[in-house]
Amino acid sequence: MTQFDRDVQLDLHRRMVRIRLFEEAAGQLDEAAKLPGFLHLYVGQEAVASGVCAALTDDDQITSNHRGHGHLVAKGGQFNQMMAELMGKSTGYCKGKGGSMHISSLDVGMLGANGIVGAGSTIAVGAGFANKYRNNGHVSATFFGDGASNIGALHEAANMAAALQLPTLFICENNEYGEFTPRDQTMAITDIVDRAAGYGIPGVIVDGMDVVAVHEAAVEAVDRARRGDGPSLIEAKTYRFYNHHGVQNLGLKYRTDDEVEQWKQRDPIFTYEDRLIAADTATRDDVDAVWEELRADIAAAIEFAESSPAPEADQLLVDVYTSTDTAGVAR
Amino acid sequence: MPSDVSTVGVIVNPHAGKDVRRLTSGASHVPDATKIGIVRRVIAGAVEAGAQRILLGADRSGLALQAASGLDAPTAALDGPLTSSHLDSVTAAREMWKEDADVVVVLGGDGTCRDVAAGWPNAPMIPISTGTNNVFPCAVDGTSAGVAAGLVATQAVACGDVAIEAKRLVVSVDDTDADTTATESALVDVALVDARFVGARAVTDPRTIVWVVAAIAEPTATGLAAIAGRVEPVGRNEPGGVVVRTGAGGRRVRVPLAPGTFTTLGIESVETLAASTPVVLPGGGMLAFDGERTKAVSASASISVSIEPSGPQVIDVDRTLAIAAAQSRFDVTEVADGH
Amino acid sequence: MSRRLAYVQAFNEAVRQEMDNDPDVFCAGEDIGAFGGVFGTFTGLQKEFGVERVVDTPISEQAIIGLGVGAAVSGLRPIVDIMFMDFICVAFDQIVNQAAKIKYMFGGAATVPLTITTGGGGGLSAAGQHSQSLEALLCHIPGLKVVHPSNPYDMKGLMAACIREDNPTVMIKHKRLLGMKGEVPEDPYVVPLGTANVVREGTDATVVAWGRMANEAADAAEQLHNDGISVEVIDPRTLQPLDTETITESAHKTNRVVVVHEAVRFGGLGAEVAAQVQEHAFDYLDAPVARVAAPFSPVPFSPALERHYLPDVDRISAAIRGALERPGA
Repeated sequence: MTQFDRDVQLDLHRRMVRIRLFEEAAGQLDEAAKLPGFLHLYVGQEAVASGVCAALTDDDQITSNHRGHGHLVAKGGQFNQMMAELMGKSTGYCKGKGGSMHISSLDVGMLGANGIVGAGSTIAVGAGFANKYRNNGHVSATFFGDGASNIGALHEAANMAAALQLPTLFICENNEYGEFTPRDQTMAITDIVDRAAGYGIPGVIVDGMDVVAVHEAAVEAVDRARRGDGPSLIEAKTYRFYNHHGVQNLGLKYRTDDEVEQWKQRDPIFTYEDRLIAADTATRDDVDAVWEELRADIAAAIEFAESSPAPEADQLLVDVYTSTDTAGVAR
Repeated sequence: MPSDVSTVGVIVNPHAGKDVRRLTSGASHVPDATKIGIVRRVIAGAVEAGAQRILLGADRSGLALQAASGLDAPTAALDGPLTSSHLDSVTAAREMWKEDADVVVVLGGDGTCRDVAAGWPNAPMIPISTGTNNVFPCAVDGTSAGVAAGLVATQAVACGDVAIEAKRLVVSVDDTDADTTATESALVDVALVDARFVGARAVTDPRTIVWVVAAIAEPTATGLAAIAGRVEPVGRNEPGGVVVRTGAGGRRVRVPLAPGTFTTLGIESVETLAASTPVVLPGGGMLAFDGERTKAVSASASISVSIEPSGPQVIDVDRTLAIAAAQSRFDVTEVADGH
Repeated sequence: MSRRLAYVQAFNEAVRQEMDNDPDVFCAGEDIGAFGGVFGTFTGLQKEFGVERVVDTPISEQAIIGLGVGAAVSGLRPIVDIMFMDFICVAFDQIVNQAAKIKYMFGGAATVPLTITTGGGGGLSAAGQHSQSLEALLCHIPGLKVVHPSNPYDMKGLMAACIREDNPTVMIKHKRLLGMKGEVPEDPYVVPLGTANVVREGTDATVVAWGRMANEAADAAEQLHNDGISVEVIDPRTLQPLDTETITESAHKTNRVVVVHEAVRFGGLGAEVAAQVQEHAFDYLDAPVARVAAPFSPVPFSPALERHYLPDVDRISAAIRGALERPGA
């Protein structure tokens, strides 16, 4: 499959712009001290979540990591509930009990961002198992970073998915840094995909700054999984424009400004817009209109979140266990 | 560095053998460890054959450097501004040309060899296949490839006796719509595919292929060249090539468009293309050079392709070692201790 | 109809009946399929229900629990087996940070009807990595429920309850009780989670003990009975949520409480029971709550040492006598 319809091409663009706008807004709110807790922004990596999630349906599941807003946006998460969750409001996706690092929405098959590196991979394997068990044709996908590729859970998950031939995609977003440490200091190989053969599954590298390249690979991997041919690994070479957390992008100790600027030249959204225009898929006015429309949505989401109530104290113990049963909590 | 130092260059493409075709075909994954091992054997072989200098092209993953690590060999690493793209192979080839390398060993597939030829058009080359479609390079162990490279570099075997000048597809794009003209080249094939984006680069959907010009149209080929090779074979050492236009109503052939994956393709027309005789073909899509989508061309563009005998000088490893053996070059002449 | 079944058979029957009842129930774990589980707990289930529903997994405890969590969130009712309780440490992230917290952190949107089964307890000379009683670690985690049956009847009923439970549960099977026989009804039934069992009624002292120690406590009570001492034995059966009501009611009656467990004393669940008793029955107590537990060391290998390590009838009896030596109010 090398050719996508115009609506797919525009959909890929829209997903990326949604992520960018959400993340930039979150960054600004964080700087204004309006967001409690930690914030890990996805800016720069938009092509990966968008390219993969555009190959999935709402019934397919994903699991994510600490840098999870982009995955939820790409999977169809709504700005209002997301922004409210980041602010810890009762109207958030998790009623203010998860926050940025644990945001989730079962409605769109997003089984959680995750504060534990690599942990989401085994949960995606469980979701893949359920799909195979029910023979429902759905697939699961887990997003993880180059850093997570070194944690035991990831290896267990990949091996188990392979051993049980589960419909599960392993999407490695290799952004070259595990938090603040360069990849080449933490592993003796360059390409995480070299490990795929060790699991007995196919692995491919794609340009993670090219949403079409990601989407093409994802479509193939999803088709394979739906056919019952088992898991696969896609390594997307990408880059986060901001710091591990927060909104600083230049002047960081562990990477050069020059490197950041070089990657920004390959901005996944702007380069794609140029190509959309060159391919006569859209005009500059068309793409600008997408930004305008979504900017309004973001503004509305911030308004919604800010005006939403904080959770009441009586919600503290709710949902530790199922609603009919709070045994063990009250004592 | 003076040119009288016998010099073997090594260029390894870390991207080769890892693209989307691991999902769409039976292509093997070629891990870095495999490439590093081949380069180690190339270095050992070249040193064994007397090469005085091994130039290591810069690659994103530092594979050549890793291969040389711990070896007692006169290796020198070339610096280069790395782009983490196929351009790194182009740069490395150009640098080796500047450094007066006598021969360059290339690890990659058809796309990698094309990149090296772009940096150093008539490079004396030993291409070792570590790619996906390996029509241009050959399956040869690094040990023998290294020895052959060393023999040629030291002029123990004359390059002219063992090198065959490969063909080159010269592609001129006259895009009136975009008001540009450009010249590109390829070593195996050039094709027009109905696609708008470079995307994952490989041409995996047979329905998108519009036309193919193949310089190496061998029936044993995989990839786009296989289309031509299976209807009108033209060997790598014969002049000229083949032009195939796809379409319904004509012949239908089974083609391995990627390793281990066969597809049926309708052929509208097939014509042989004499050497150095341009054929003008329509645009409107994406040009794929040696199997990789590379360049968008508008519908009003005209694309002129000619097959020229001006490609790299490909060294025949078997023949090189056979000549050396015939000249007793592997014999030990000095008296060893204890014998 | 009731027959005598072994503890291991009671477990097996509960799983089989629940799998029969609900096609969403499946089992996964190491060696549980073709082999039937290293303790025979899953014997015959794969043959009956097929490889899709009784799944042999790699030796990957994190992924085994993760498999259960992901499948549970996706609507199945997984039973995942961690062969030895000691191995939960390998999967602690998945149990503590994932399974236990998903419901809460998802704002209630998810349910995790996951049952983790595992073999706990010492007495087999299996040494420090195959003998531990780590229930206190699990009971400390909001979101989990923990059961530890002491007999075949409770085993079947608690296991059925765990499988039907919508919250993640950990079923601790005591390895030394696998062959213990007892009356077990053939029809499916549940022992509701969070309900203690008064194993034996008494008036002079209360012993709270679970797992194999509940049986040791009952034996101690029988021994003391011959000396005219009336001991009430309470087996909580479910450790989280703990049936503190039954325990404190008993404390109100007997005024003396001894807690017994196989786990080490310091920071053990006995400390929680003692704290609950003093919070809810302080004015009734005639003696400090006594604890009989393992010393603060790894479980030793040598049978000679392990004998000294594990609480037994004599130590329990001595503790009860000690509590009774205190003058009453």
